[in-house]
Amino acid sequence: MSSELSILALYGLVVIIVVLLNILTAMSQVGLMTLGGARDDMPPLTGAAGRVERALANSVVAMALFAPAILILSAKDAFTGGTLFAAQIFLIARIVFVPIYAFAIPVPFLRTTVWLAGFFATAYLYLQAL
Amino acid sequence: MTPEITVLTLAALLWAVQFIAYLAVSHGKMDVNKAIGPRDTEIERPGASGRMHRALSNLTEGLTLFAIAALVIAVTGQSTSFTAAAAWIFLIARVIYVPAYALGWTPWRTIVWLVSFFATVAMLLAALI
Repeated sequence: MSSELSILALYGLVVIIVVLLNILTAMSQVGLMTLGGARDDMPPLTGAAGRVERALANSVVAMALFAPAILILSAKDAFTGGTLFAAQIFLIARIVFVPIYAFAIPVPFLRTTVWLAGFFATAYLYLQAL
Repeated sequence: MTPEITVLTLAALLWAVQFIAYLAVSHGKMDVNKAIGPRDTEIERPGASGRMHRALSNLTEGLTLFAIAALVIAVTGQSTSFTAAAAWIFLIARVIYVPAYALGWTPWRTIVWLVSFFATVAMLLAALI
């Protein structure tokens, strides 16, 4: 299997880990009973739990954009050194994005810059797919 | 068509069914004018309506992950009876998840969700190995 497809599957596992982090941080904030219940009156998550929840939502959007780009390139047999590099940049940026968001690392525009790297890597993949 | 892709198609149809079920459950409980408006303020989704909405959001997330697993396996020709079984387990768990959430079956909703979650993890790992 091509390296780009491996990176896609690996990113799926990254999101799986963020889902687990979301559960663990939410559980430590609202408790297992509330989280495992019907969540009818669950309070909004705050602090680190809220940040992990937002990082997860952002990761899912990135995944929904990244997956079609890789699958289209695969179907068209259009992988190049450039698409591999873009996929690697995407994976690294998206992995780094999570702790930067979760710990609210106080470097101005750091999270945004990392997000942009993943975003433009995806945009490049779509341009190559066309 | 690999079994995983068949399941993926069925799971996407489940999304449509859950969306319609959400509307049906919300009928008469949700402010329709607010729902079709610009939603500048949060819409109230009381009881089962909110639960069906959360179940739908959760399927959106689970389905995106499952789609990657199913498509990577199909494209790379790695479908085995193991990945096919995991795909069917995913779908069955996602179907049971809907009444489990709507009716507030605790802790069964969490357990059923975990089954669908680990079925997806197993498929992604199988794709990489």
